[in-house]
Amino acid sequence: MEQSIIIAGFGGQGVLSAGIILANSFMLNDKQVTWYPCYGAEMRGGAVNCEIVVSDTEVTSVHKKETDILIALNDLSFNKFLSKVKSGGIVIANATLIEKKYPREDVKYIFENISDTARELGSIKAANMVSLGILSNICNFTDIKSIKQAIDMVLPQKIRELNYKVLDAGIKLSESCRKE
Amino acid sequence: MTKTLISGNKAIAQAAFDAGCDCYFSYPITPQTAIGEYLSEIMPKAGRGYVCAESEIASINMVIGAAATGAKAMTSSSSCAISLMQEGLAYAVGDELPLVLISVMRAGPGLGYIYPSQCDYDQAVTGGGNGDYRILVLAPSTVQECVDLTHKAFYLSQKYRNPVIVLSDGLLGQMMEPAEFVKYPYPEIDNSNWALTGAKGRTPRKIRSLEINEEKHNQNIQHLFDKYAQMEKAEVLYEEHNVEDADIILVAFGTMGRNIKAAMNLGRKYGIKIGTFRPVTLFPFPNKRLSELADRTKKFIVAEMNMGQMIKDVQIAINGKAQVKHIGRPAGAWLDETEILDEAKIMLGEEYAASV
Repeated sequence: MEQSIIIAGFGGQGVLSAGIILANSFMLNDKQVTWYPCYGAEMRGGAVNCEIVVSDTEVTSVHKKETDILIALNDLSFNKFLSKVKSGGIVIANATLIEKKYPREDVKYIFENISDTARELGSIKAANMVSLGILSNICNFTDIKSIKQAIDMVLPQKIRELNYKVLDAGIKLSESCRKE
Repeated sequence: MTKTLISGNKAIAQAAFDAGCDCYFSYPITPQTAIGEYLSEIMPKAGRGYVCAESEIASINMVIGAAATGAKAMTSSSSCAISLMQEGLAYAVGDELPLVLISVMRAGPGLGYIYPSQCDYDQAVTGGGNGDYRILVLAPSTVQECVDLTHKAFYLSQKYRNPVIVLSDGLLGQMMEPAEFVKYPYPEIDNSNWALTGAKGRTPRKIRSLEINEEKHNQNIQHLFDKYAQMEKAEVLYEEHNVEDADIILVAFGTMGRNIKAAMNLGRKYGIKIGTFRPVTLFPFPNKRLSELADRTKKFIVAEMNMGQMIKDVQIAINGKAQVKHIGRPAGAWLDETEILDEAKIMLGEEYAASV
């Protein structure tokens, strides 16, 4: 089984590092995984995204036409990538920055106040970890333990505690939408 | 052995270090700058050479100079900047110098675009330098292969005293994937009979590509071509899947080799007998194997992120025995499995599609 995830937002929201942490957590679970950053002029202060493909067997194509899960951290990326989500796919959306809307009926929306949650816990920059907390509840390829282990591998010591805390808050937010 | 999540560019840099690369010279260019950035950290610490050169023309000539002294030397660059190195490459072949060039393709021609592409197949395989010469070209499709083929590039360059190109692209360079950093698996090759190490106590040596004697010149070129014949005998590498019963075979190199596999997996689910073939060495090209495959399978699709470059080598190998079609585009979103499968269905025909 193969699953693809797009994480998208503004530069500075931790889009790429959230992707790297997630990809590491898949690797820790002995999965095959690829992480591919959006490349182009967008990188300079504007929109940024990365695409992660995880599989039990070899990951073939890296850059997919459609995705199973979209994490949209701002309005721009919600609008840009919604059409890429597979029918039956999941959209995790940052309700702090995206007005609740449901343009497609064939996907499942999870609107949570991702940025606000991170800000209340100490840093708006940790919004990315709130979204991974939510994701860990709906994605079968990873779990909270390996995401925390991946945080240790990727982030510097001094911000790890904050990130664990924010991650836990994300899990709590999404307890209503458990893994199926 | 533990795996590390790492980008293709950094994996190549670490593998070059592990292969014993003594000197690295290069000038930055997107999308391969991470190679130099990574080596700038670890090479000086290990007492090895790292120079950010003033231009690509300088860096290839620095590599030539270092290689002449017997050092394992490497440079890396991309597309338009590799155009600047063509003279140096031709000299390195003529001088019989082992060197490794990492080519991370972006779109062209000219300054082109920074988006990943495969439009420098011809540049790498047939080259833009002067004279009768060939360069060994290895094309990785995974980050693990970036490691393994960089090791191999150092070994083959020393074994044949010829430049070797590792042909990557901006997608493979920038994506991350778990890889294992195995120990350099090849033997060290003795170069004490030719390297310029100071003539004290021995007869002086010269390394040059010029021979002002018709007979000797022709002998030298014949010697190069004897080496190429040897490479064609001993170094051909390819990866193939499900070719035994295939009604159509998809051919691709490098990163696109992953996408044809995705198309094969999808097609096989519907009962379409698709096989895949990926040349790993682009020179020497797996002519013999492709020709064998064309005895049985009569339809081939060559998928490339360019307007049709490797297809010429596939056509030469198949030599009219089967139908060959190219699909591709110059840059942008890579051909995905559904597009490739649609093309395969068209080539197989309506009747076939209806029968499965």
